[in-house]
Amino acid sequence: MKDVIDVMELQREKSRRIQTLNYRQLDFAAGFTPARFIFECGIKLHAQPLTIASATILMHRFFKEVDPTNYDCYLIAASTLYLAGKIKDDSLKIRDIINVAHNTLHRGSSPLEIGDEYWNMRDAIVQAELLIMRILKFEVSIVHPHKYMLHYLRSMEGWIGKDKWNSIPIARTAASFLQDYHHDSSVLDYSPQHIAIACISLALQCYGVRLPLIEDNEDEAWYSVFVKDLQKDKHWEIMEKIMEVYNKEPENS
Amino acid sequence: MTNSSQRYEKIEFLGEGQFATVYKAKDKENDNIVAVKKIKAGSKIEAQDGINRTALREIKILQELNHKNCLVLLDVFSQGSMSNVSLVFDFMDTDLEVIIKDNTIILTTPNIKTYMIQTLQGLEYLHLNWILHRDLKPNNLLVNASGILKIADFGLAKLFGSPNRLNTHQVVTRWYRSPELLFGAKQYGICVDMWAVGCILAELLLRVPFLPGESDLDQLTKIFQVFGNPTEQNWPGVKSLSDFVEFKPYPPVPLKNIFIAAGDDLLDVVDALLVLNPLKRKNCSETLQMPFFSNKPAPSINAKLPLPQNIKKKDLEKPSLKRKLLNSAEGGTLSKRLFF
Repeated sequence: MKDVIDVMELQREKSRRIQTLNYRQLDFAAGFTPARFIFECGIKLHAQPLTIASATILMHRFFKEVDPTNYDCYLIAASTLYLAGKIKDDSLKIRDIINVAHNTLHRGSSPLEIGDEYWNMRDAIVQAELLIMRILKFEVSIVHPHKYMLHYLRSMEGWIGKDKWNSIPIARTAASFLQDYHHDSSVLDYSPQHIAIACISLALQCYGVRLPLIEDNEDEAWYSVFVKDLQKDKHWEIMEKIMEVYNKEPENS
Repeated sequence: MTNSSQRYEKIEFLGEGQFATVYKAKDKENDNIVAVKKIKAGSKIEAQDGINRTALREIKILQELNHKNCLVLLDVFSQGSMSNVSLVFDFMDTDLEVIIKDNTIILTTPNIKTYMIQTLQGLEYLHLNWILHRDLKPNNLLVNASGILKIADFGLAKLFGSPNRLNTHQVVTRWYRSPELLFGAKQYGICVDMWAVGCILAELLLRVPFLPGESDLDQLTKIFQVFGNPTEQNWPGVKSLSDFVEFKPYPPVPLKNIFIAAGDDLLDVVDALLVLNPLKRKNCSETLQMPFFSNKPAPSINAKLPLPQNIKKKDLEKPSLKRKLLNSAEGGTLSKRLFF
């Protein structure tokens, strides 16, 4: 348990200085870099959180099928963002995506003129979109952990008691863990229910919250009321994967 | 993955819609007859926007569906570098619009029951999965030679249930559009589909579209000429809808005077679906529980439903062909007839 809390301390220090990444100097980093790029662009575009999450999932799925060195990961990232906007009915305009992506890669540059470079980028995004769809065999439906997490948290609100619930930001922290976990491609490897539980568990441990009215013993964990098929070691494994994400963040030199 | 575009062999052109062209084709891998819906690439400007949103929406929703009364997506493929996408479905012989318009067909109460039960069960499944169809009309209810009805065309379908989410009211073909949509409601639910089902039922009885409005305002006039004007009493909140306008007052007409031949239990169903106040409309499960569906006469067996003659003809040819096959290969069973 001790190292969980240490990680949090580390994070708090880190988050005080917001990093401006120079993407052009970064490598693929097993999908972390394009995911981080999707988050940065998505937030600038005011995309819905689920749209951004979908884009990262599509991106991770795509690179699982292909050799990442054959593709420009920022083009794929921009294209998955565009595709996710369509899938989630959260219309993101292609011109906005191009401008934001261009400005994020070349910080401080002015917006692209409508010219050859713009049209090439636009064609590239549209063609990459179809390529992604084909590689994913047109399977674009995604079951997100978010909805499960929301329901678990709602039930826990009554379980823990309103006063205590409101004094500790468990829901907020769990949601942050879930969002950040989308930087890692292992988000594809676990069921959405299990991921939701692991994020909540981690949040509970960060704040040292113990759930009332149950004994957390060896045989039965607190989350067994929500999911029956999550073994302790798997639960621990997902939590470790979530924590590892924070070590992957590049330090700007 | 085999090359999908070569997997399907075009047989004939079936029809063309706003967004797509549909062909009948043969799946060369298993000799099944399928329908290939080729999404139009659109103008050059649309092509620059990549994959068609309508197609993507349909792909996404259909992938999650599996019900005997919903059209199943068998495959998706694209060919060439342009963003064109084709969807592959089970081939369906006809649709309810053709059946309704075919004067040689007599639709009996048991026939109507079977068509309605299938529609309601398919729609119930969609609604239980939080999907609004938003474009129900006889033309989108496909029927195959065995009399199975399947709901098709999910190009306007949408997930519902998120509070605060605004939807467009420009959905549903006008004649089947509910009064709240015509008044510009942007938050709505399954009631828009239920109204459309009510119109379809009325059309099965009348054999012509029940409320064929020529414009949105004319549509409302047609509705109120039958059901009377909405008031704050029978529909609280109607006046706060964005496009609400006061109409010349019409008195409601008893349904019995319009559907002269229909039984009381059937009229109760019409009455439960075509209610001005969307919140008072029955949902699919409630409608299926109504006496009409359990009263005598019992619904027809699917295979006995009347179909247009050109489809029946094929059916007549089939057994003779089968009989030949049966004669040549001994031990053939009747159940083989299901494979076409």
